[in-house]
Amino acid sequence: MPPLLEVENLRVELVTRAGVAPVIDNLSFTLDHGENLSFVGESGCGKSMTALAIMGLLPEGIGRVASGRILFDGEDLTTASDARLRSIRGNQISMIFQEPMTSLNPVYTVGEQIAEVLRAHQGLGRAAAWEMAIELLDAVRIPNPRSRVENYPFQMSGGQRQRVMIAIALACKPKILIADEPTTALDVTVQAQIFDLLRDLRAQTGTSIIMITHDMGAVAEMADRMIVMYAGRKAEEGAVQDIIGHARHPYTKGLITCVPHIVAHLTEERRELTEIPGIVPGISEFGQDLCLYASRCPNVTEQCRQARPPEKSFPASHLSACWHAEEI
Amino acid sequence: MDSLLDIRNLTVRFPVRKKGAGFGQKSWLTAVDDVSFSVKKGETLAIVGESGSGKTTAALAIARLVQANLSGEVRLDGQDLLPLSREQLKEMRRRVQVIFQDPYSSLNPRRRAEDIVREPLDSLTDKSEAEKQEIVDDLFRAVGLRPEQKRLFPHQFSGGQRQRIGIARALSTQPEVIICDEPVSALDVAVQAQILNLLRKLQSEFGLTYIFISHDLGVVQHMCDSVAVMYMGKVVEHAERLSLFNNPLHPYTVALLSAVPSVDPEMRRKARRILIPGDPPDPLNMPAGCRFASRCPVAEPRCHEIAPELTAWSDGHNVACHLVTPEGNQALARATTE
Repeated sequence: MPPLLEVENLRVELVTRAGVAPVIDNLSFTLDHGENLSFVGESGCGKSMTALAIMGLLPEGIGRVASGRILFDGEDLTTASDARLRSIRGNQISMIFQEPMTSLNPVYTVGEQIAEVLRAHQGLGRAAAWEMAIELLDAVRIPNPRSRVENYPFQMSGGQRQRVMIAIALACKPKILIADEPTTALDVTVQAQIFDLLRDLRAQTGTSIIMITHDMGAVAEMADRMIVMYAGRKAEEGAVQDIIGHARHPYTKGLITCVPHIVAHLTEERRELTEIPGIVPGISEFGQDLCLYASRCPNVTEQCRQARPPEKSFPASHLSACWHAEEI
Repeated sequence: MDSLLDIRNLTVRFPVRKKGAGFGQKSWLTAVDDVSFSVKKGETLAIVGESGSGKTTAALAIARLVQANLSGEVRLDGQDLLPLSREQLKEMRRRVQVIFQDPYSSLNPRRRAEDIVREPLDSLTDKSEAEKQEIVDDLFRAVGLRPEQKRLFPHQFSGGQRQRIGIARALSTQPEVIICDEPVSALDVAVQAQILNLLRKLQSEFGLTYIFISHDLGVVQHMCDSVAVMYMGKVVEHAERLSLFNNPLHPYTVALLSAVPSVDPEMRRKARRILIPGDPPDPLNMPAGCRFASRCPVAEPRCHEIAPELTAWSDGHNVACHLVTPEGNQALARATTE
């Protein structure tokens, strides 16, 4: 069976005052049916841009797909018409955004917002869509769905709003659900509830999930495979346990060790956290023929500053774009 | 007495207008309810809890930075800070400083970095210009900023650098206590480590005492010496670092810990989720018994009727739960192994 989603040599450019910058630079990956793939990296590394490119929602007039293909079920989304994209979005591919506070419309009840999707894509009538909205609220475990369906977003807590977002995203049983930092704005206890919900829904519906996050713990808990992005390029790709067990890119290694992870047996000893010095380069520096991580890398050599590292393959389809991947 | 800061029965109440009540009728929202703890000199106390648990309000009340009805005692070196007048507060503000969560909105965008760092010196001390300049120069070095960056404005810095300015500002009056209100939660993961390492370095260098507010238990585990867990305005568990993380007793603490996604596979196996369904109770209409009872997986009838007191389970480990016996919390242990 061919993969559900196949991204080939995707290059997305942003036109800014300073010139044209490739915010996604030659990215290829595949997503299988029912798979959970995670994108990891700091802000400004192109994770959200990848999601927006798949959805055909790149900022209008500024962003464009310069080359490459996005094949969804064999159909190239980069050349699809607006009308075709509109019928796919929210129907076969849908997205949960980071901010449950701002991504719901404050002047409509949550029921109307869920029913809207069903009426637009599934051709349901008003009454049928409303009944379905109640069922969906129940499915995302909101208590008393029959009365809560008439609530406005401000009457709900952050976790409940994110559940409503998930209900909207799942209304048409999409083949792909893109979750862009779905729990960043939420408390850990609520985050755990949302993760459980996503896991259950995936088991029930077989939806593939693309999760964008910066939290390695969340990746370890949720994903099968992960892609680490840095400055618009893929730094590393592989199975989650392989990468966490043995990262082959210094950036991945840095991301894992710079966070104080909670451990099972705490001891008196407290090691200094590994720092990744500096910050992600600005987009004006993207696209140069060198390793963009070189300025922050502890293992940097002359070679890194002279040419962009190729992707090297390791067993179990583990890829790393580092000149020194074998030594790490 | 070796504790620098001693908080006894601190209560913070905000007046709110009651729905349906007559004109001028007030009711009170108790954000922090009868909270007691102490912090030793040079150590870090972490306050953790979900949003709305009162952790920030408690810490800001210690610095006298909330406009609300305060009662109880906040003793810094034996002196109660709550009854201080405006003039006396100036002296106290020199000794207690705050690092804020959001480095984007907590710096004045129209002032230069060095002016921001010098401002507490201008308003709280009467040092000479030369002395102030020297202090500012030293602080820039101490927090890892370059001298030529002194003349820049906040928007010219990255998030991590802005937080460094915020830290330098908090250090300028040589305070004894620094309240760190989620100092890294607005920063990128890679930058968090830089700031956390800096905070620990400064603590050992200047002998600072931190009150560290965070919802990130990984960060707390790394930074703290002792932890107070708050739920709906109450401290439900208060213990030393090792004791709390290796032997959590309150169901809420256990639930919080088990909710943290972990890269450690052993941790994931061991901590089978304790799900706490639902949302916290309405703060204006607090239940009679234990405030956690409505979400607690092991609650008994008495939990809904009698509020448990914070009592000492062992030396330095206090917990407020009816189900804790001298052997630990066995009801909870049974629930988690099943």
